[in-house]
Amino acid sequence: MTNEEKLHLLEDVFELDENTLTPEMVLADIEEYDSMSKLSLIVMIDDECHKKLTGEQLKEFETIQDILDFMG
Amino acid sequence: MPDFLDFKGKKIFVTGAAGGMGQAVSALLAAHGAHLILLDRNKEQLDVTRIGLEGSDHTSYVCDLGQIDAIEGLMSQITKEQGAVDGLVHCAGIANVRPLKLSKYSYMVDVMNVNYFSFVEIVRCITKRKAFNPGLSIVGICSIGAFYGAPTKTAYSSSKAAMYAAVKCMAVELAEKGVRANVVAPGSTRTGMMEQAEEYSAGTDSYKQKLSRQYLGICEPEDIANSIAFLLSDKARMITGACLTVDGGKMST
Repeated sequence: MTNEEKLHLLEDVFELDENTLTPEMVLADIEEYDSMSKLSLIVMIDDECHKKLTGEQLKEFETIQDILDFMG
Repeated sequence: MPDFLDFKGKKIFVTGAAGGMGQAVSALLAAHGAHLILLDRNKEQLDVTRIGLEGSDHTSYVCDLGQIDAIEGLMSQITKEQGAVDGLVHCAGIANVRPLKLSKYSYMVDVMNVNYFSFVEIVRCITKRKAFNPGLSIVGICSIGAFYGAPTKTAYSSSKAAMYAAVKCMAVELAEKGVRANVVAPGSTRTGMMEQAEEYSAGTDSYKQKLSRQYLGICEPEDIANSIAFLLSDKARMITGACLTVDGGKMST
């Protein structure tokens, strides 16, 4: 999966318009990054990347790049 | 004084026997003399449950109840090998949380298969002639989630509401055979499923608020097991089509 494809998946999860996310964006600055989005992120990564994201790992994410790295 | 819950000579089939509630109810029923037929997809944990039980004539079967087409063959095998049963406890279930926007059809079907369709299929098979003894009692593990809305639980709550609706119909249809069917609806209970849910929601306000309404506190698996055993027993002989909530008072507000 390319970074562009991953970003589109994240935009979908956070319900943002296409091409609004960039790797360097800080998660704390993204208004849509709320508890429901976090749960959606866990489910999406399970579905699309077949990886289990734990609550602890989720807390360590600071930027979009961190999520992209985890997605692999 | 005779045992209030006497299951001596009774054969009881327990699905999901490797999980928290399945394990607790199996231990209780075995302690009161039941011969248990245990089923779960997790062989290792199933063996742990079976080995820990009082009595030595319990048997176990490994099966993934998500494979609905395999259930009829398995039930025929169990009837052939174990004979007619006196009780069924359906504890097997999955309690995943998932936002609606990601709850695609395939996910909904997976949840419904394990939580609902497998239950109906087992009841269908177990209520055939020669598969059950007179006075068969069926208990499904429902959830108070069947009665109120909660985010991320469309699949789970729907499956449990469907189970309760099915049990009410079964109670009426099977009454002439002397079969009773009921559900127990637990509130938050200290099991592996709860720990899983807590991993993502423990710190949220809605989760704390939810728990604060469980006025008597968190249920233990043994609390649920006691209610199941009562419904299985002859002491509940006039109870059918009912839902017994075991939720520390949560449904009272």
